[in-house]
Amino acid sequence: MRAERPSLIDPWPVRIVVGALIVGFVGLFLALPLYTLFAQAFAKGVDAYLRAIDEPAAWAAIKLTLTVAAIAVPLNVVFGLAASWCIAKFEFRGKQLLTTLIDLPFSVSPVISGLIFVLLFGLQGWLGPWLRSHDVQIIFALPGIVLATVFVTFPFVARELIPIMEAQGTQEEEAARLLGASGWQTFRRVTLPNVKWGLLYGVLLCNARAMGEFGAVSVVSGHVRGRTNTMPLHVEILYNEYNLTAAFAVASLLALLALATLAAKAALEWRGRTEIAS
Amino acid sequence: MTIEALGLEKRFGSFAALRGVDLKVEPGELLALLGPSGSGKTTLLRSIAGLETVDRGQILYEGIDADTISLRDRRVGFVFQHYALFRHMTIADNIAFGLKVRPRRERPPRAEINARVEQLLELVQLGGLGGRFPAQLSGGQRQRVALARALAIEPRVLLLDEPFGALDARVRKELRRWLRRLHEEIHVTTIFVTHDQDEAFELADRVVVMNDGKIEQIGSPAEIYDQPATEFVYEFLGGANRLPCHVEGGVALIAGTRLTTDLPRDFTGDAVAFVRPHEIGVARPNGHIDDVAQVRSILPIGPDARLDLEHVSGHIEALVPRESLDAAGIGVGSRCAVRIARARVFPTS
Repeated sequence: MRAERPSLIDPWPVRIVVGALIVGFVGLFLALPLYTLFAQAFAKGVDAYLRAIDEPAAWAAIKLTLTVAAIAVPLNVVFGLAASWCIAKFEFRGKQLLTTLIDLPFSVSPVISGLIFVLLFGLQGWLGPWLRSHDVQIIFALPGIVLATVFVTFPFVARELIPIMEAQGTQEEEAARLLGASGWQTFRRVTLPNVKWGLLYGVLLCNARAMGEFGAVSVVSGHVRGRTNTMPLHVEILYNEYNLTAAFAVASLLALLALATLAAKAALEWRGRTEIAS
Repeated sequence: MTIEALGLEKRFGSFAALRGVDLKVEPGELLALLGPSGSGKTTLLRSIAGLETVDRGQILYEGIDADTISLRDRRVGFVFQHYALFRHMTIADNIAFGLKVRPRRERPPRAEINARVEQLLELVQLGGLGGRFPAQLSGGQRQRVALARALAIEPRVLLLDEPFGALDARVRKELRRWLRRLHEEIHVTTIFVTHDQDEAFELADRVVVMNDGKIEQIGSPAEIYDQPATEFVYEFLGGANRLPCHVEGGVALIAGTRLTTDLPRDFTGDAVAFVRPHEIGVARPNGHIDDVAQVRSILPIGPDARLDLEHVSGHIEALVPRESLDAAGIGVGSRCAVRIARARVFPTS
């Protein structure tokens, strides 16, 4: 079908130039940095690489990052599902406002969002004295990091689901209700299965961002080595100490996460397409 | 089941979808809601189902306020215009859905559910297709799955929203006949929405003609066809000539013919007359000028002929036996006298 329509095919020179531009761009901005990253990480050999990772502060950072993601991602899945369900399936006052609010973390600099939490929960903040008198520490501790991460990654799931749910309309839900399904049964048996691929995709993006977030977490974490450093923060500290091999080694783990996310995303898209096509 | 609607009113923003609708649906009857788009017929159907809440008025199921009955307990079988099948479930799972979501103590055992699904698949002539997904079926097949799914819960009332609207003409005809037979078999109270009068007249025991959020007329197909109650019904049914006329003392002068009307004896004023083509005859001109028309064209249709006539009061379409043309010596371009046998006259408001 394609080859037989010459009018739709650009002349050779155009194809070469465009192709070269794309390859050049991808190479310069994606492939080359990735290569440098791994090259630097392994510059002093595999032993040095493993030593850089197998170190208490690095392990603590990895554990903290996984813990934060393990809390923030499920929270945002619940929130994202609830918000997109409300927005896509119901009409109510303030719907536009809610839609705008969901986008807020995208439009606010992560550093500002971190600062907001410091202003709220920090020692000098609004709730600081009360929190201190009740012996609750949020800023410079795990709760603060989780809060900042939840805030920053809050739109990913909802943004992914709203268009899918809106496109699907409400008739299947209405049919389910009239067939006798309860609200929860309708959600679990009709709404959720219809968005499962989109949801997984949103979770993946949310997770990638949760593990990679730097700005907001940097403000609320306090950079206590071995206690409140996440992986991105740990990379920064190592880098500032001119410990390049270690910095790139930990960074390579984050890069691997990104590659795994991309692969999973591609697989999901392929799965989603074949399912729709069937 | 008897269903009653009492004074239903419903607005969507500034648009009034229902403006005081009263309706009583008899047990076991097949009722059509007929009207143009925007007439409120779908809103009425959805309100009866419980998918819309009305602003004013009441819906009674067997005399009980439907608001007090949960969607599950209403046992409404609803068929959506675009089927609304669960796309991620097989046909069998779609049909079984209403049984599977029942609370544990009311839920039939799995074997019984499977048997019921098989039985319904046979009923809608889709035996053996239970393992397919909705996307693998044709429009007509999907429509029948939607119907089987609705029937699985043994509904007390079956509601169908433009059930054949999205199908091509041939399939539509077939499904129409099939639905009629099915209704004769299971005899569940059925209401369906349509904008196609042929569909309404062919299927329904009674037809409800709606316009602008109100009911214009309720009656059997014959009643509606023979005695359209309002100007709108006449217009909507189509095919009738609309002739302006003058009424004096209850007698109308329509294209030169004097006819006694149903209007009060003392009514005098302008009116509009609806005359169907077969209610018009033609004759050789006899010297009067009032009733003379010019023959524009003659189209033979079997033993009859369709005439396009030009009269001072407007364009008139007549359907007359061809022999009467020969007898009166009427041909294209000649003049003839128009004879109105029957008309329905509505005063101009």
